[in-house]
Amino acid sequence: MDSPLRQALGDGEKLGLRYALQIPQVAASGWTGTRSGRRNGSSIDFQDYREYQPGDDLRFIDWSIYARSDRLTVKLFREEVIPHLDLVVDGSASMALDDTAKAVAAARLASVLATAAANAQCTRAIWLSGEGFRRLPNDTLSPITWESFAMDSKRTPEQSFEIVPPKFRRLGVRVLVSDLLWPGNPLTLLRRLRDGAAALFVIQLLAREDITPPEHGNLRVRDSETGEENEIYIDSTIAAQYLENLAQLQQSWDQACRQCGAHMTTIIAEDLDDSLDKLQAIQLLTPA
Amino acid sequence: MIPFLTYPLALAALATLPALTAIYLLRNRFRRRTVSSLMLWHFTLQSRQGGTRVHRLQLPLLFFLELLALALLVTAATGPHWKSSQNNRPLIVVLDDSFSMRAVHDGASAQARAQKFLEGLFHHGAPPSVRLILAGKEPHSLGSIEKNWSQVAGLLSQWTCRSPDARLEPALTLAVEAGKDQANILILTDHKPDDENVSNRRVEWHSFGAAVDNIAIVNASRVAFENQDRCLLEIANFSTGSRSARLLVQAGTNTEAVPLSLDGRGSRRLVFNVPSATPSLHASLDPDALADDDDIQLLPPIRKRVRVQVRLPDENLTALADRILAATGLRSSISADPEIIIHDNASAATGNAWDLFWLTGAATNAFTGPFIIDDSHPVAQGMALDGIVWAAANITNAPGDVPIILAGNVPLVSTRDDAFGTRHLTLNYNPGLSTLQDTPALPILFWNLLRWRSDEMPGLKESNARLGADVTVKTDGHAVTMTRPDGVKKDFPATTGDIALETPMPGIYSVATGTITNQFSVNTIAADESDVSGCASGQWGKWSEDAQQRLEEASATWIFGLLALALLATHLWLVATAKGAR
Repeated sequence: MDSPLRQALGDGEKLGLRYALQIPQVAASGWTGTRSGRRNGSSIDFQDYREYQPGDDLRFIDWSIYARSDRLTVKLFREEVIPHLDLVVDGSASMALDDTAKAVAAARLASVLATAAANAQCTRAIWLSGEGFRRLPNDTLSPITWESFAMDSKRTPEQSFEIVPPKFRRLGVRVLVSDLLWPGNPLTLLRRLRDGAAALFVIQLLAREDITPPEHGNLRVRDSETGEENEIYIDSTIAAQYLENLAQLQQSWDQACRQCGAHMTTIIAEDLDDSLDKLQAIQLLTPA
Repeated sequence: MIPFLTYPLALAALATLPALTAIYLLRNRFRRRTVSSLMLWHFTLQSRQGGTRVHRLQLPLLFFLELLALALLVTAATGPHWKSSQNNRPLIVVLDDSFSMRAVHDGASAQARAQKFLEGLFHHGAPPSVRLILAGKEPHSLGSIEKNWSQVAGLLSQWTCRSPDARLEPALTLAVEAGKDQANILILTDHKPDDENVSNRRVEWHSFGAAVDNIAIVNASRVAFENQDRCLLEIANFSTGSRSARLLVQAGTNTEAVPLSLDGRGSRRLVFNVPSATPSLHASLDPDALADDDDIQLLPPIRKRVRVQVRLPDENLTALADRILAATGLRSSISADPEIIIHDNASAATGNAWDLFWLTGAATNAFTGPFIIDDSHPVAQGMALDGIVWAAANITNAPGDVPIILAGNVPLVSTRDDAFGTRHLTLNYNPGLSTLQDTPALPILFWNLLRWRSDEMPGLKESNARLGADVTVKTDGHAVTMTRPDGVKKDFPATTGDIALETPMPGIYSVATGTITNQFSVNTIAADESDVSGCASGQWGKWSEDAQQRLEEASATWIFGLLALALLATHLWLVATAKGAR
C-alpha cells in the first residue's frame, strides 16, 4: 500500500477520535459487550432466574436460593452486546481517480468510521470490493495496520456481490462508501446491503472534478475503469447536461435509499474534513 | 489478382487505413481527461456550438455526411449489443493445490500432467476466456480473466501445490457462481470425485493421480520435558503391503539411522528425548514418490520463564510458595524486575507486574465443599478439589472482582484487571488449616497462573507448526518483520496484540520484533494428503454438447464505428476535392 494512503489512514484515525458511531436501537443484538441488548446477558438489569449450567458466571449465583433449596440458581440480566459495523468500500478504479483526492479521502473516511466505531465499543469488519468482496487484513486492529487497501478493480460493487458476497453480521450497522458511478438499478445492490442490517448508510464520495465539468473545448474523456474513450466538444449546453445527468443519478440513488430505509449523503473528497457534520446530520456519527 | 480486390468490403476496409491515420492525428488535438465513469458523458443533446463548423462549410452534402457520421458515433458510444450465437464457452479451471499433486509417478507429477493436459486443451481450441481458481484450504481466485495460453501459463506459476488440504467442493461452488451456468468448469486433481456420477452438465472432473506407495511422517512434535526436549515422530505406511524404510534423525552433530518395518496401512511412533541445547532436529525418510512429507525440521520449544518475586513476611508461607513455584518449572531463576509479585498486603504497589494477593487473614473458616470452579478460566484448568479442606477468610466478593473458585459465596480465588490491563489476583487461602497444599491442586493452580502470565508475554507462542496453520506472535508495540524461507519479507506496522502469521510453504521462518529475532519451523504434515493410495486417473462428467447454441451478448460497436470511418473518409475526400477545385 502506498504511503499517502497509509498516511490518510493514520490521519483519519486521529480525526475519528472526536466521533463515535451512533448505534440504532435495533442494532442491540450481537456479541456480549457494552450495550443493553434484547436477550439475556450480564448487565445490571435483572430479568429472570434459571438453573446453573457449567460455564455460567459464578457472580450471578443467587446464594439465598442456594441456602434454601441446595440448588444452584443463576440470576439472568439483560445482555450487554457489542454492536457491529460492516464498512463496505468500493474498490473500483474510479475511487482512485488520477489527480484527485478521492482515494486518500476514501481511506481517511474509512479510518474515521472505523475509529468512531471503536469509540462506540463496536466491533467492525472492513470489506473491499474487487474480484468479489474480501475483508481487509488486520481490519480489527488500528487502521494504520490495514493491508491491501487498493482501489484498482475493474468491477463495480454490484458485480463483486455476484462473485463473492461479503459475510455481513446480522443486525449490524452497514455503511457503503462509493462514488456510485455505475449504470444499473441502485435497488439491486441496496436491497442486498439492507438485508438483515440494523441500519444502512450510503456515503457518495465524489471528487471535485466529478461535479465540475471541464472548460469549453474539445475533450477526449477516458473511463478510469473500462478504459473506454469518448470524444466530445464541451460547451455550456453539454456542461449543463452533464450536471443534469449527475443530479439524476443522485436522485435515483436517493429514491432507492428511501425505499430501502437507508440514509444517503454526498461528500466531496477535497472537503472531507469540513463535511463530517453531514454524517452527524444523517445520524451516523455523534461527537465522542 | 490480389484476393481482397475481389471483395468490396475488404477494399473499403483498406481504404479506411489512411483515414484512420488522419483521424488519429486529429484526435491528438483533443485534451485528454480521465473520468470516473463515462455514464455521465452520454448525452441526448448535441452541442449547439459544435455545429458552427458545419455552417461555415455550407456544403449540404458534407453537412449530411457529418450528421450521419456523428449519429453513428453517438450510437457506437452507447455500446450497442446484439445476441450472437457462440460455440465456445468461457472456461473456469479449478486447480487442486494440495501437496499430494506433487506425487511422482512414471517420472511426472500429477500437477505436471494436469498442466500438460490444460495446455493441450488450449492448442485444440482455446476458450474465449479462462479463469483459474486454486482449491487449497479455502478457494482462492487467481483474479483476472485470461484469453491466451501465455497469460494462463503466467498465472499457473502461482499453482505451487503446497497446501495441506484441497477443499474442492467450496472451490467448485465458487466456480459455479462465477460461471452462472454459462461457463464450462474443469477440475484438475489427483483423485476421483466422491460421487462418480457427475450430474452437472457444465463440469468435467479430470484426475491425473496414481496410487503409489508412500511412507510419510504424519506427526512430529518437540516439547519441553524438564531439562530436555521430548520429541515425537510418527511414520505411516500408506500402501497395503508391508514396507521397510530408514529414518535418518539428525540432532545437532549426532546422526542416527533408525530402520523401520511397517505393516500395510500401519504406523509407528518414536518417542525420544534430546538435550534442550540441540538447535534443530532434522528427520528424513528415504526418497519416495512424494518427497514433501519425507522431511521435517523441529526447532527447540519456546521456554518462557516468569520472573516471580515472593514478598511474604511469613517464612513458612514463603518456603511453601517457593516450593510450589519450583515445582511448576516455569519460574525464572531471577526475580529482579518481576512479572508476578506474591504478597500479603492489599495496598502493595506492584507497578506493571501482575500480583497475587495471598490473603491469610483472621476469621478463617475451613470449607470442605462443594466448591464451584469456573472451568473456562485459564487459572482453574485441570483443578479438582474433591475431598480437600480449604481454609479461607470469610469474605464476600469485592465489586469488580471476577471469582474463579468459590465456596458458597466466599471467593477463594478471584481476579480483576485495572485500567492499564494489569491483572490482580486474590488467593484467599490459609494453609495452616488446609489440606490443599498436600494435593496436586495447589501446584496446578500456580502452574496455571505462570502459564497464563507467560502466554501474555510478547513473542512467538510456538516454534513448530504445520503447513498452512497460522502462527501467532504477540507484540508489545514494536513493528514485526517476518522473513519466509524463500527470503520474502513481510512487514507489520507497530501495534499491540496478537498477529497471525500465514505459513504457505515449509521451512524456517524468522520473526523480528524490536531487537529480538525468533524462528519457527513449518513442516509438511497432513496425513490425508500423504495418503496417495486412493489417487486415480480418469475423467468423470462431460460438458454437454448443446443442441441449441449459446447466445451471448456481442458488441456491435465496431459495425457503427466502421461505417462512421467510411463516411469520414468520404467526407475528407470531398473536402480535399472541393479545396482542389478552388
